[in-house]
Amino acid sequence: MNANRESGSPTSLPIALLCYGAAAVAAVALPLAGSPLAVNLMLRAGSIVMLAISWNLAANAGLISLGHSTFWGLGSYAALLMGNRFGWPFLPSILPAMALGAAVAALLAVITGRLRGIYFAIATLALSEGLRVIAVMLPDLTGGGAGLFIDQTLRPEPRLTAIVTALGAVCFALLAHLLSRTPFHYACRAMRNNEHASQMLGINPLRFRITVLALSGAIAAFAGGVNIWYGGFLDPDIGFDLHITILAQIGPILGGIHTLAGPIIGGLATLLIAELTRMWFGEQGYSLLVYGAILIVSIMYMPNGIYGTLRRLCAPWTKRRAAAKTALVAS
Amino acid sequence: MSMLLQCLVDSILLGGLYSLMAVGLSLGFGVTRIINFAYGEFIMLGAYGAFFCSSLAGIDPLIALPAVAIGVALFAAIVFEFSLRRVLRAPAINQILLLFGVGLVIQNLAAILWTGDARSVETPYSLTAREFGDINVPDGRIVTFLVATVLIAALLWWLHRTELGRAIRAVAQNRDAAVLMGINVMRMYLLSFMLNAALGAATGAMASFLLTVTPFMGFPMLIKSFAIVVLGGLGSIPGTLAGAFLLAFAETAVAYYVPDGIGWAEGVAFAVLLGVLIFRPRGILGQAVEVA
Repeated sequence: MNANRESGSPTSLPIALLCYGAAAVAAVALPLAGSPLAVNLMLRAGSIVMLAISWNLAANAGLISLGHSTFWGLGSYAALLMGNRFGWPFLPSILPAMALGAAVAALLAVITGRLRGIYFAIATLALSEGLRVIAVMLPDLTGGGAGLFIDQTLRPEPRLTAIVTALGAVCFALLAHLLSRTPFHYACRAMRNNEHASQMLGINPLRFRITVLALSGAIAAFAGGVNIWYGGFLDPDIGFDLHITILAQIGPILGGIHTLAGPIIGGLATLLIAELTRMWFGEQGYSLLVYGAILIVSIMYMPNGIYGTLRRLCAPWTKRRAAAKTALVAS
Repeated sequence: MSMLLQCLVDSILLGGLYSLMAVGLSLGFGVTRIINFAYGEFIMLGAYGAFFCSSLAGIDPLIALPAVAIGVALFAAIVFEFSLRRVLRAPAINQILLLFGVGLVIQNLAAILWTGDARSVETPYSLTAREFGDINVPDGRIVTFLVATVLIAALLWWLHRTELGRAIRAVAQNRDAAVLMGINVMRMYLLSFMLNAALGAATGAMASFLLTVTPFMGFPMLIKSFAIVVLGGLGSIPGTLAGAFLLAFAETAVAYYVPDGIGWAEGVAFAVLLGVLIFRPRGILGQAVEVA
């Protein structure tokens, strides 16, 4: 197992920080300078990358979610209700959204106890669909099936939502990167590989489950909360859309599950593929069809994703360089 | 009183269809240990098969049922050979995500080919009903209950009394021992996946005259099947049958007795699913689950 490779080599932090800095500058500059199309693209890129990072964090601890729309939807509803009921503007409303996402995720971690693998996955799926039914059935709170518009007077400029989304994605990517250098990451990985064994090593699985899921839930809720301010309209089918769940899992799987770069590469690649399909076929139905095909192809032929495949292709080259270095030292 | 009786009759009739639906998922899981996330799509294909037989050729869904089931089973065999077979040794999560992807492709291909329009099949028995005292029983529901009962009985007979059926149960019980007995496990996997698809398609063919047929009808059916199978205990057929009637009763009771019940009934399956996973993950009659 060269498992310690997955977080990248330790020397790469300054370079990585430089990359995050550049990405942050781009996140602010592109929407500011660009057309509405660029704003829209930045918003979607940021959202998809955040979802992918959020999903991958949970997956790192062995928690495979099939219901990430839960947190997205809760974040959307929290942000919208804070705006409509209490007149909170865009940025402050994101905080309660994240708090709600984190709280429900932590609750999920506690109540699912030691459910793992498929059982946890099915529980998340049931939770998101259950919340959708609840949202339909509580029209006084959520507007029911007819949906709700967000208070138009409070709505920020689309440009601002795009900047916040893209910056958020960069921040969460950085957070995931920094986390990967802490014992937290190794504890999660140990849990993923064998929870019993990790317990022997003195790891309290429940504590890590709660932390990692709360973090994952907060990130997805952030994405959902920002998106509702951009979109302006919310109904249960938009909030707890299966599409979001699929988007969240497809990035890491296409890019490379359990890696740092994988979710980002995969998320952006998914967006690119979605845009290309829309250009060629023009219809919404095709994008889900393509997502399904991506899932099938990645799992069958590229189980380590784009990132893993690239690493494998580059491996002979890096190895040769290392060998040359040793030869030089030896001589 | 008559409302309670009506509620009971309705839930028993619905439970018949649910049993058939969930037995398919349960059988497939019992043998291959893979939860078929594309199961809802096999139900949907069965419903469309029955719809096209009825609308294009005027064949009654019940007469078309065997052909539809066989057709969908053959399709499932192709899916198995080209995708699932390659990931049988992979972690469970890869299998789930793969089948999730297969389901997405089938569902959206159906939406593109046959449009998203809601369709329904009309049969001589789908709009009539009979009265027993205060109790009203639609003929369509009686028909599905009877057909489901016959199919499940035939399945149980086949599983217990034939060589192949016994081989399938052997693989479900202990894969390694089955290999030592000379059973071709891969063939049993294929066979159980096809059976799973055929049962799903049979459910769909009958659902075609009870519900509306759309490309997206599979997902709620999948969740209901999950709820039943988890409630009864994964891999246990008696448990699955009990779970089917319990879910049918819970849904019907909610629809009858809770204000706005028809809407809330949609959520019963999710509540049951979450509740069972949290409080008793092995289900009412199931074996212990592997939680780690």
